[in-house]
This record gives sequence, structure tokens and C-alpha cells, in this order.
Amino acid sequence: MTRRGRRVVVTGLGAVSPFGAGVKAFWQGISAGVCAIRPITLIETDGFRARVAAEVPDGIGGSTRRSRADRLALTAARAALDDAGLGPAERRDAGLVVGAVGGGMLEVEGWYWARQRGRSVAGGGALRAILPASHADMLAWRLGLDGPRETVVAACSSGAASLALAAELVADGVVTTAVAGGADALTRVCFMGFNALKLLDPAPCRPFDRERRGMSIGEGAAFLVLEDRETARARGAVIYAELAGYGMTTDAFHVTSPHPGGDGMVRAMRAALETAGAVPADVAYVNAHGTGTPHNDRIEAQALRTVFGEGGVLVSSTKSMIGHTMAAAGSLEALATVLALIHDVVPPTVHLDTPDPEVPFDCVPGVARVATLSAAISNSFGFGGQNVTLLFRRPC
Amino acid sequence: MLRPAVVTGVGVVSARLVGDGQALRRFLAAPPAASPRHVVDGAVLAGLIDGAEARRTSRVSQLALAATRLALADARLDDTGAAGFILGTEHGDLHSTIEFADGYLRTGPTGLSPLLFPNTVMNTMAAATTIAVQARQLALTLNVRTVGGELAIARAARAVASGRVEVALAGGVDQHDPLVAEILGELGAGSEVRGEGATLLVLESLDHACARGASPAGEILGAAWRGLRTRPHGVGRRVESTAIAAALEEAGLESGAVTWVYTSASGDRARDAWEEALLGRALDPQRLALASLAPLLGQHAGLGALRVAAAMWTAASGLLVQPAWGGGAADDRTTALVPVAPGPGLVHGVARGGTHVALVVGGPPGDVQ
Repeated sequence: MTRRGRRVVVTGLGAVSPFGAGVKAFWQGISAGVCAIRPITLIETDGFRARVAAEVPDGIGGSTRRSRADRLALTAARAALDDAGLGPAERRDAGLVVGAVGGGMLEVEGWYWARQRGRSVAGGGALRAILPASHADMLAWRLGLDGPRETVVAACSSGAASLALAAELVADGVVTTAVAGGADALTRVCFMGFNALKLLDPAPCRPFDRERRGMSIGEGAAFLVLEDRETARARGAVIYAELAGYGMTTDAFHVTSPHPGGDGMVRAMRAALETAGAVPADVAYVNAHGTGTPHNDRIEAQALRTVFGEGGVLVSSTKSMIGHTMAAAGSLEALATVLALIHDVVPPTVHLDTPDPEVPFDCVPGVARVATLSAAISNSFGFGGQNVTLLFRRPC
Repeated sequence: MLRPAVVTGVGVVSARLVGDGQALRRFLAAPPAASPRHVVDGAVLAGLIDGAEARRTSRVSQLALAATRLALADARLDDTGAAGFILGTEHGDLHSTIEFADGYLRTGPTGLSPLLFPNTVMNTMAAATTIAVQARQLALTLNVRTVGGELAIARAARAVASGRVEVALAGGVDQHDPLVAEILGELGAGSEVRGEGATLLVLESLDHACARGASPAGEILGAAWRGLRTRPHGVGRRVESTAIAAALEEAGLESGAVTWVYTSASGDRARDAWEEALLGRALDPQRLALASLAPLLGQHAGLGALRVAAAMWTAASGLLVQPAWGGGAADDRTTALVPVAPGPGLVHGVARGGTHVALVVGGPPGDVQ
């Protein structure tokens, strides 16, 4: 953050995605345009119209006494800290901000379903993870993080909000290091809810396609280590990118529909540019929220046009490959944005066969694109009109 | 603090107190005896929400919205477009989540309510409230056990102090639910005196408050939140509080300058003892007066914000509201008003799992009294 306080850089990356554990697997998958959306195996889907999702494959690791979401979070956060090369002493005072929505709901549902169907089941293990905040407590305990600890629930923008809040802690000098990101496992409530809202495409989602019919859900976790730039330089850390700006706004319009003019989205993107001291022309790539619902994609495109002008940036949706990973979406997509900057490669939007004339951008259909990128943004928009834009810049 | 945040409005909707800052001050000046039951009267809540809103929003969202409106009216703040909104909650709208799931369990996919689904996401209270009051800057929902209200106020104070927002509406909300009570029992916190309700505060920079002629009721002089290493849901053994030290440093105070604390004691005996040990180590235990408001209003995330408002009153009046817990042989539930040194005090909370928050709270800033 340059407008206020210290500059914040990214020095550690960790992920568990529908391509498996690891940043390398994630980048290989999205840069190759592989779609990981398949028939659901984790939960029962009988009687529902849409029955596909992007599940994390077997082999997450960790104790099965922990919730699936806790294990996703722990694997990703530990990898990020290891990648940053932070030892126990450096971790001790680090901040921890987690974006979460479902918490351990998958396991709680198992307990509750059984109970309501008249079976006597002990709830202890499942109930311990019922709150979204359980991830943060578990991560702090297992990873030795005693600094400021927070769990932010901002629906689908939770993961991005966690990074913005962690960046504030570093920029304000409250901490020199923070680990932040989001995690979510597939849950019955989420699957059933989006089905009930008729927002799911029965086939893998097709963001920005004229024939798009809705979103696909997914699961995963991604964490980034953020550091004060001078501290990172002093310890010789690898600096992947600078988190140069962010914007967080609220539509104050509708619980599930974005403002029809994209007002909140525009304000979030402009705030990110302002805090970074950047102008629209500095940004070459937007990792869009791009859910694949007809309404959201159209309004996001309209907001992008307002900020960047028609065709002013490359735009792509990672969700076309990994689905909408809920609380993890903002951080997985922030990771995709950082990786795009590192590799000078824009990941594609897959299943984009028929461009929508209402989306006047090059949405990188099907195949990744080599492009020189100095700055890129990641958009995340959630229920309740919660908009977060993160602006990453190549480190200098 | 870079620039202390002042509090210019208070809104409370709880089992035994519904009103603004003035109503809270009256309540604190003549506090009732402790009570074991803390559920907001449905008729009272219905009187605070219009019919259309009541149909659109769940009960916990109504609690948050009603308290926010009371706080805005107290602050005489009409223009909320530039305001941030930060809400702490322990359990969110778990009630709606259960109702949503029950729909499926009763009749399968056709029993699912698309209207209920958004309420299953914990930011639903923030969404309903920001829409109703048209707060259009950042809206955050912070989930944590026990200290949600304190954490929201601390975050909001930092947002104001750093200049990111000029005005923040912040506080906490929770709804009583039998399943929640059962879960807390399973998690070892079943002895808590639970309550429900919402308390919201209007925080703003002193300059902003002065410019619009608002009267601050008090100020946040320091705020910090940290983690204490312990198992998830566990009570720790460490008693060195970095949060208290950081909050005092931010306020420019020595530990001996603080002689009274509103704590998060809730009847969870192991957790309460841990908090007392933390405070005893960080401050001077010989001179320390501790009080919890849980016996009066029941533990819920809103109570953390209410404690901040109560601390502003104590800082100005020199009176600490100290309810008895009851449950003894004589079951004494009286509430005392204990004389303490006027001036800044501490609002402190620690949750099972180790999140803890410290806020140094003062009365009205001297130059605007």
C-alpha cells in the first residue's frame, strides 16, 4: 500500500485447489486451461438439477479428526509460511487473517442430518469446527502464530477481504508479517442453496459466454504471506509481487443481486487504483470475479468498461476451471493474479465458445496468453453487495 | 492511536435495555439485579422494525438493524454513504441455517427456500443493515467466539485512526438459539450466561465529529487484538498479554494508570479464570476493580460493544457497574456501583481458542466537553 504507511509485498504462496495440493499444480492446471469441474462425489446430489463441482482430489493430508475445510486451510497456510522461509520466531508475532464462510459445516451437516433422522450421533468433533473462526484458531495453534487474529466473513469476497485486512495491518505497522487467505470445503447447504436459487449451470460454468447458464461451485484454500517490503528485503526474502492497493465497498442495494450499474464494483476498483497510486492504463490484466451467471458477468463487464474503457484490459475467469470456491475464491484468484505477473502469462477462460457482445473485452478464450504485465487486479464480489478489488504489481 | 476515534452514538437492543446512549446511561446509573434469562421481547423488536423489513429480514438481522438505527439517531448522523460497517458475531444467523436445512430434511429439494439461503452466510446481518441505512463503504463481518463486539470496535477504531474512513458503524449481534446452547455445552462452555441482542456504536474522527457539531460520549484511546497460543476451543496457560500492552502503549499509558476493567467474564469458569490471570499479570492486581455485564444482559457479541459504551460512562462518572453472579447460598444477584478513579479504563475480552482484545476507553475528550 503506497498511499498510507508501509509498502506490502507478497513473499509466500500456498494453495490447495481442485488440481491438488501445491501452487505448482494450481498454476499448471489454470495455465493449461484444464477444467476441474466434474460430477460431485462428496455429498448426495439426487434430485438436484446441477450436480457438478470442482472438488479437491484425495490426498489433502492431515488428521481426519479435523474438518475438511480445516485441513485445506492448514495445508495451504503451512505451505505459504514454508515458502516464505519464516521460522518459528518470525511467525510468532505474525498476523493471521482468514476469510471463511462454511467453516466445518460439511461435518456438522453430517451430524445434524443423522440427528434429525433419528440416529444418535456424538457431535463433539464436528461441532468443534462449526464456526468459520475455527480455521483461524486451528491455524494459529498449529503454526505458532500469536499476532493479531481475525476471521472475516464477506461471502464470496471473504478470501480477498482477508488479504486487504492483513495488508492494512502491515501497512499500519501493527505487524511486519501476516499470513492471510481463505478456505472452504464443499457443503450441502452451499450446494443446495445455489441450486435453490437456480444459479448453477448443470454443465461446467461458462463465464462471459453468450450462452452461459450459471456458476459451478468448488472448494479449496489459498494463503499468501504479506510482509513489510523493507523487512522482506532485509531478510533476503523472495518477493513475488507487491500488494499495492485494494478497495472494499458495499453496494447497499440487494442481498443477492449486484447494483445494476455496477456502482460498488466501480468504486472498489477505483479505490484499489487510488491506494496504489495507479491509473487504469497501468493495469493490463483483470482476474475477474466471473462467476458465469448471466447477470453478474454482464454487470462486472459494465463496471470494467466504466473503469478501464472498452477492451482496455485482458480479462479472464479462473472460475471457469476451478469453479467458485466460495471463501477461497478471492485468495485463489489473488494467487492466480500473482502467478500471472510472475510468469507474464494470463490464464484463460475455458468453455468460452461464443463471446457475449455485452462483454466488450478479450476474455482470453481457451488458451493462456503470453503478455507483459506490470500490474493486475483481482475482483471478488459477494452476497450482500460486498466488493473487494486487490491490485498487485510486479516488485521493483 | 494516530488519531483517537470518538463515539458519538450508541444503540442497544437487548433483553433488558432498548435505547440510545442516554437510555444506556440511565440504565448504568441505576442498574437492575442480575437475571438468568436474556431474550429480547419479540413485540419490542417488532416495534423497532417496519412490517416490510420484518418480512424480508431474519430476527438476528432485525436486531442489528434496530440497534444501528438507534445509534445513528443518537449520533444525529443522516449521511451514512461514506460510513464503514463492522459487525462482530459469534454465531451469525445459525437459526436460518437450521431452518434452511430442515426444509430439505422434511421434503427434499422442493423444501429448500431460496429466500432463506442468503441468511446462511454470516454476513447477512451486515448486508441487511447496510442496505437499510445505505452505508456504502467497507462492510465487514468478524466471526469469533466471545469477543466479536470488542474486535469489531477495535477494527473500526483503527479504520478511523488510520484515516481509511471518517465514520464507522461498529458493534456486535447474536441471537439466542437452543441448538447454539447445546453446541456450547458440547464445547465445554455450557455454563455461560447466554443472552442475545445487538449494540452498535457510531465512531468517527474527532475532527469529523466537531465539524458536524456532534457530542462525543467518549473516545477509544488504544486498541489491539492478538492471539494467545492454546488449543482451538481451549483455555490457555499463558498469561502474558501482548494485546493489553499494545493497547496501553497506543494510548500512551503505563499499566498502573488503569485501575478498572470491563471484562468478558461470562460464567464459563475456566475461561473467566484465564482472563483474570491475564489481567492480573498485565495490570496491578492490588488496585484493580473488575466487572462483567454478562449477569445483567447475557453473553452475546453485542455485549462487547456495550461494554465499550459502559466504559465511556465509567471513565466520566467514576462508577463501575459490578453485578453479582448469583448462584451462591443466598443467591445474591444485586448489582453494585463501585467508585473507581475517573479517567481511562480497559475493556478486555479473551475467547476460548485464544483471540483476545484490549481497548483503552476514555470519557469525552477534554476539549469538547
